[in-house]
Amino acid sequence: MHKAARAGMAIAAIATLTLTGCAAGASPDATPTQEEAAPGFLSVADDAFDAGGDLVVQLDYDTAEASGLDPQGAATARSWMLEGLSYETLTTIDENLEVAPKLATSWESPSDTEYVFTLASDAVFSNGRAMTADDVVGSLQRLLDTPTTWTGQLGPVSSIEATGDLEVTVTLSEPYAPFLSALANTPAAILPIAEIDAGEVDITTEMLGTGPLVATAHRQDEEWTFEPNQHHPDADALGFATLTIDIVGDEATRAAALRDGSADFAVLNSIDSAELLSNAADVTVVGQKNTDFHYLMINSLTGDEALQDEDVRFAINSAIDRAAINELAFGGSTEASGVTPAGLPDACVAADLPSAAHDVTAAKAVIDKIGGLELDLVVYTDEPVLAQIAQVMQQNLAEIGVTVSIEQVDYATYSARVYESPADFDLALSWFAGYADPAMVTTWWNPEVAGFSAVFMKGSDELDALIADGYTTEPGADRAAVFEDLCALADEQSEMVPLVLRPSTIGWNTQSLSPTLTSAEGYGDFLRYVTEFRAN
Amino acid sequence: MSVVLWSIRRIAAALVTLIAVSVLIFASVRLMPGDYIDLVLGPLATEAQRAQAVADSGLDAPVMEQYFRWVFGVVTGDLGYSFVSNVSVSEEFAARLPVTATIALLTIIVTLLIGIPLGFLAALRSEGSAGAAGRLVSALGISLPEFLLAGLVVFVVSTLGLGLSVGQFAAFSTDPGRFFGSLVLPVVVLSIGCVAVVARNTRDAVMNVLVEPHVQAAVARGETPGFIVRHHVLRNAAAPILTIVGALVAVLLGGTVIVEFVFNIPGMGSYLQTALGRRDYSIVQSAVLLAAMVFIVASLIVDLVANALDPRLRLTGGSSR
Repeated sequence: MHKAARAGMAIAAIATLTLTGCAAGASPDATPTQEEAAPGFLSVADDAFDAGGDLVVQLDYDTAEASGLDPQGAATARSWMLEGLSYETLTTIDENLEVAPKLATSWESPSDTEYVFTLASDAVFSNGRAMTADDVVGSLQRLLDTPTTWTGQLGPVSSIEATGDLEVTVTLSEPYAPFLSALANTPAAILPIAEIDAGEVDITTEMLGTGPLVATAHRQDEEWTFEPNQHHPDADALGFATLTIDIVGDEATRAAALRDGSADFAVLNSIDSAELLSNAADVTVVGQKNTDFHYLMINSLTGDEALQDEDVRFAINSAIDRAAINELAFGGSTEASGVTPAGLPDACVAADLPSAAHDVTAAKAVIDKIGGLELDLVVYTDEPVLAQIAQVMQQNLAEIGVTVSIEQVDYATYSARVYESPADFDLALSWFAGYADPAMVTTWWNPEVAGFSAVFMKGSDELDALIADGYTTEPGADRAAVFEDLCALADEQSEMVPLVLRPSTIGWNTQSLSPTLTSAEGYGDFLRYVTEFRAN
Repeated sequence: MSVVLWSIRRIAAALVTLIAVSVLIFASVRLMPGDYIDLVLGPLATEAQRAQAVADSGLDAPVMEQYFRWVFGVVTGDLGYSFVSNVSVSEEFAARLPVTATIALLTIIVTLLIGIPLGFLAALRSEGSAGAAGRLVSALGISLPEFLLAGLVVFVVSTLGLGLSVGQFAAFSTDPGRFFGSLVLPVVVLSIGCVAVVARNTRDAVMNVLVEPHVQAAVARGETPGFIVRHHVLRNAAAPILTIVGALVAVLLGGTVIVEFVFNIPGMGSYLQTALGRRDYSIVQSAVLLAAMVFIVASLIVDLVANALDPRLRLTGGSSR
């Protein structure tokens, strides 16, 4: 290459490094803040903030469900959130992750298998029709009659009856502690059953709920436009005129949009974005805790033969340094979790798990006994933090003589390798939605019920029994004891190994938006309090 | 060989290529690991849900039937429906193709306006500072991958302002000013590489012509540099330059996928990328086939024009490549 060209290349490289490096490295604290503005809230909308403008939110991906926009078929947190803008549920989750009233203004439990709900009298669908008890009965019955992912979470419902104009009674065949929490998620939304039965609305293509917003336009993977549901009690108090949700796949572009003000609010997947935005004076980046958690799958059925040995799996489990994952992949913004998500009532304590002893010497002895081990670790590229976690684990496992080869593939390939029979992996990383009751996610440790995990894990009758106990035991000390045993057993069996909670990184432009955002979320819904947002 | 016969042979070859490409695309898409059903239903779905989704998407039909149904649809203008949105692929293409075409067209215009003069300048002043500048720009442009350049542009623009913003696309029918404004950065990013390629190839083509005997003779006759360039160099250097411009179509087809994704432009590239990730077969098959068609047609046009400019190519029955 000519000397001048080489010089030019060098100048360009230096300029690039200077532009990116200086801007990113100048901040002394580039971790998303988790400082609370009020108890339970990272931010509380300021009533004095100019309002009435268009609220522009940028998300990384759109809802995409085989059931379209039918909320009962919604299987992912993104769908729950987007559809939750137009639909409401009987109960909701408050800032303390506790069940709170929504369309049911109150409820009573005459027995541990009976719930009597009193319905809101001012709930009106966006077509102007008032919600009735029949809508509630029909919606829940429809969810039971047409099984979806969420049907199982509702528990052993034996009957749903309208017992008054604004009263519905649900009877369970046996006690089920997570019932009220399960009602709080979008798949349990109350639908306009009269219109559905009459064929007047196709809820797979149109959202018609009692929620605060109405979707007026949607271009798949591009944009949503929402306008206020004029029949909603909060319609007049909304702090914005319209809500536009842009789907922007590139993380840097979303960060740039926050910086230049073209977006008011955006979800950011990586804590690195906080660093990238640390010099943007008008941008605040926060870390919202979630009950969601990352976990490691160890294929004990069709993976490396050595993984059929529980001692080998436990050695791998106990060699993983959760603290290092927290520091290196999350900048210290998260924490270790057991099967029951850390932070939920009665959840087990990760530090008390057998693997928490982190006995590398003992683990190495187990691996040495089989002459070392070479394993593949599959992660998908949509979630960059998985690769970062994988790298930490790769180093952890090298210490005990396990050589890990990280394979990054797109999600379709990942899905085929991990969930199709026979599963084609040794180790794989993913994450679970943690929900709002600690018993709910334990379901997935029973491969017969979960289905998807049956291709790579055996489970055990003992673990299944503890999972069942977790459903039926009333919240409190007894349930905490059940979860302690459950977490410990799952930890020893080491087929699905919880790692750390999966926080959301969220940013907003402080010049154009004053949002309300809880410190923690149970269903990944960072727009749960959108009715309180004020945008100018 | 006559122009007509030559053209018929080229068109026939293009059609055969397209048929082969259609088979290849169809097979490749289905050989990719994972499918739409697994993706949108997720691991928690029941067997009944899976069976229903397979039936709804038509994936339960024999593969050959699916292929011929698709080909028949393509021929009749029905490209099928997206698995995810259930929206007609033809409708989506109609909305997105003009966006991508505009980006490509603007990029080609910018490339020709800058790249060719720069290449000429570099060739004619190969020993001077202009020549060095030309080589520098070429080396830089060719070396920088679009994803890096696009990311850098996004960062710089959002940090410094510069009167531009990223991700502010608006349809031409809604806001023509914002439409073109949103294309500035993608076109700049794409043009840098294209200008570099064209400048370098123009320089090489011109320098090759400059050492030919008839040019040397013209110099010896004392003809002016301007006359020599206009009458002896331009026409002879045009064919290889045209060939490179034709090849740029392929570069742009790949480049638009990246810039549309980074700058959030709803064109064909971003559509294809999303569809590929979701194994949305109808979209991927048709978009790739369309891209192949564009490339084949562009090559055909380039060959025809090159032949018109340089009849020697026709005699060999092929292009200059």
